[in-house]
Amino acid sequence: MQSSGADRVRRLLTAAAGALLAALMALVLIVGFRLATRIRANVALLQRASLLETYPSALSQQLTALRERLGTLEYTGGVHQELADSVAGFDRNLAALERRPGVDRPVLRAAGRLWKAYTPVLAPVLAYSGEPYSDTDFGSSLSVSGKIYYTQVRRAELFAQSSAPALHRRLAALSAALQKRTSSAASRLRLLLSVGVLAVLLLGAAAAYLQLARSRGERAARAAEEQTRDILHTVREGLFLLDADYRIGTVWSQALTHLFGREDFAGLSFEELLRDKVSPATLATATKYIKLLWGERAHENLMKSINPLGQLEVILDNGRGGKETHYLQFNFHRVVGPQGVKHVLCTVADITSNVMLARELHEAQESAHSQIDMMVSMLHSDPLQVGGFLDTAAAGLKHVNAILKEPARSHAEFSRKLTGLARELHSIKGEASALNLMSIAQRVHHLEDMVEELKGKSELTGNDFLPVVLKLDELLAHLRAVREVILRLSTLKDGPPSPDGTLSSPILRLRGAERASGAEELAATLQGLARKLAEDHGKPFTLSLEGLEAVPVAYLPTVKDCLIQMLRNAAVHGIEPDAVRRAGSKSATGLVRVQFRRLESGCELVFEDDGAGLSPETLKEAAVRKQLLTEEQAAELDNRSALALIFKPGFSTRTEVSMDAGRGTGMDVVAKAVYALGGRIGVSTHPGRFTRFKIALPAPSQTAVA
Amino acid sequence: MSSGTPLDRRPVKLLIVDDSNIVRRRIERSQQFDDLQVVGTAANGFEALELARRTDPDLVTMDLTMPQMDGIECITQLVKLKPALRILVISALADKATAVEAMERGANGFLNKPFSDRQLNEAIAELMY
Repeated sequence: MQSSGADRVRRLLTAAAGALLAALMALVLIVGFRLATRIRANVALLQRASLLETYPSALSQQLTALRERLGTLEYTGGVHQELADSVAGFDRNLAALERRPGVDRPVLRAAGRLWKAYTPVLAPVLAYSGEPYSDTDFGSSLSVSGKIYYTQVRRAELFAQSSAPALHRRLAALSAALQKRTSSAASRLRLLLSVGVLAVLLLGAAAAYLQLARSRGERAARAAEEQTRDILHTVREGLFLLDADYRIGTVWSQALTHLFGREDFAGLSFEELLRDKVSPATLATATKYIKLLWGERAHENLMKSINPLGQLEVILDNGRGGKETHYLQFNFHRVVGPQGVKHVLCTVADITSNVMLARELHEAQESAHSQIDMMVSMLHSDPLQVGGFLDTAAAGLKHVNAILKEPARSHAEFSRKLTGLARELHSIKGEASALNLMSIAQRVHHLEDMVEELKGKSELTGNDFLPVVLKLDELLAHLRAVREVILRLSTLKDGPPSPDGTLSSPILRLRGAERASGAEELAATLQGLARKLAEDHGKPFTLSLEGLEAVPVAYLPTVKDCLIQMLRNAAVHGIEPDAVRRAGSKSATGLVRVQFRRLESGCELVFEDDGAGLSPETLKEAAVRKQLLTEEQAAELDNRSALALIFKPGFSTRTEVSMDAGRGTGMDVVAKAVYALGGRIGVSTHPGRFTRFKIALPAPSQTAVA
Repeated sequence: MSSGTPLDRRPVKLLIVDDSNIVRRRIERSQQFDDLQVVGTAANGFEALELARRTDPDLVTMDLTMPQMDGIECITQLVKLKPALRILVISALADKATAVEAMERGANGFLNKPFSDRQLNEAIAELMY
């Protein structure tokens, strides 16, 4: 990355050097070509000049030969013709030289002048065309014209003999000049050729260097590529780049294959990568987030802090044909170039084991906390009360177990099973929170959530109940732990525990004066619950209890269950927030009154709160919403029957579920318990003033009292 | 922290939007910038919009869960009203989807409740200086 600038400079330099050398080569070739052409032309001129050099002596000789032939009366035609050819040749060659550049002009002109002097003497010789000999009886002799011809030839011969050396000297000088030029051009050509060879050598060296550098670069690139491949194959995180179209680039780490069970990542959009793995809502958020990464507003730290894919739950194939839940951690880093964000680098890691570990740690911590909470609440509560609760809870859970073991086939049967479960759990939770045993209450609440989830399912099988059974086991284990703690605490207070270690041991049962009667225990439980409810819901109210000591022992558990439920309902639905109470000119503190009386015909339990009262219309709406009634049925219902709706199973006016109310289980449990004892329950109300429940129970039978 | 600010050191006008009185006071007290001036506090989205029109703030701290008009809706409207406004979301919602949603609507920063004074000041500094 860093050396790319230096690389570019080097490449530019080598290119410039190459271009320079190539230009030099071209220049050498052009100049060389021109020099060669000139040398060739010079050589041709030189040849001509050399030829010319031979003419003066040749002319002298020809003239001599002609004179001798005339003297000996021989045939002269051939020599005459040769002479004419020589003169014409001299003229032609001289003219040819005159037009050529590079010929020494003064010398040429001097030679021309000398040659011109030949003309007057040569012209009569060349013009002669008569018969030089005349034949007589005495033999042949020169004719008159022949004698003149002889004289003219003799004169020309003498002139030529005297002029030839001068002319020859001039012509030789001409040749010499040309010779010199040619040889200088030749030496220049030699020099040029040397330069050319040198340039070729340099060019070759440069090419070799370049080739070497390039192959070294290629080797380095190959090595880098190999390293990249090794990294991408070995790294345990999924690595890839997203482009501005939110698509994955061509380079990605092998780990992605294991994480997503596919190979076709290049060009895949981020949305496609996650589509079948996460919920549509998560997918939409993820897509928005990715878009934000390209924006200007996104600081790296801010984007990191709102990363919605920091711990993404996905369903992946486990490679054995099944599905597994995994937790993936996506991290995004923006790759910023001069024109803004170029890519987003994504890393994906499977953090399932980390998440699991963190969860286990958290649970362990929670459990430690709840143990401490439990100890603290134990210290503040009466072990007898807790013991009583544990007995009730154990009985209740046994019931739950029994419900779970009931065979069921149809959906309706499963549904009934669930309703039974929900009721049992609800009453256990109520008591647990009344005793401030939040660790137990929370566990039961969790179980209720599971049951609630099952209720929402359209198809139910026995397998659906398995998680509930497991959770139930956990709860039972917790209850045992609570027993253990109780036992230890009582040991602290009273000495060593009994060998069998049960709560019904005399140590807890026989605590002399401290031992509370059933009624006192009930009163304490209710007051504790009232305080807690008032605090939790921010609705201060007073609980007034009358006549609880008159409750027959046989009815105590039922009365207790019913009162706990009604108390919770009163705190959640009945008593208004203090602002509302003040506005309605009521005292800020609410009042809940419980009265128990023995009558001749049996017993009567009155539960009354001075809260908002019940509105028949609201109840009807809730019943329609819960699909317990159709709109038409609701419209026809009179107020009395509308009020009775609250005793129907599955009825609740609260839409959101809290620990105390809203699951739709409550008054139906109360009603069912009352009916089980052969009693009746009724409700009366005045909007804004009160709600009053009256429970009539028959006189307890003798056997039940025992 | 405030060194290197632009030459026109006009105070940054801050509008605090949160339905909790306690949180509003908390934010008001924790800010340590001399050139930050609280121009208003609002308890819901409607009040926030009204105050934003009147006081022309530069920075808004925005709660998300509020009665009447929630934070997300309020951000949308505020951005329409004043595109240059910087919005710091301060929310107890741990839900990242909401944070992403807020950012998409035009928020500029995000701070989780509970926060320390230092965290708040850093978040403001990052947005404004």
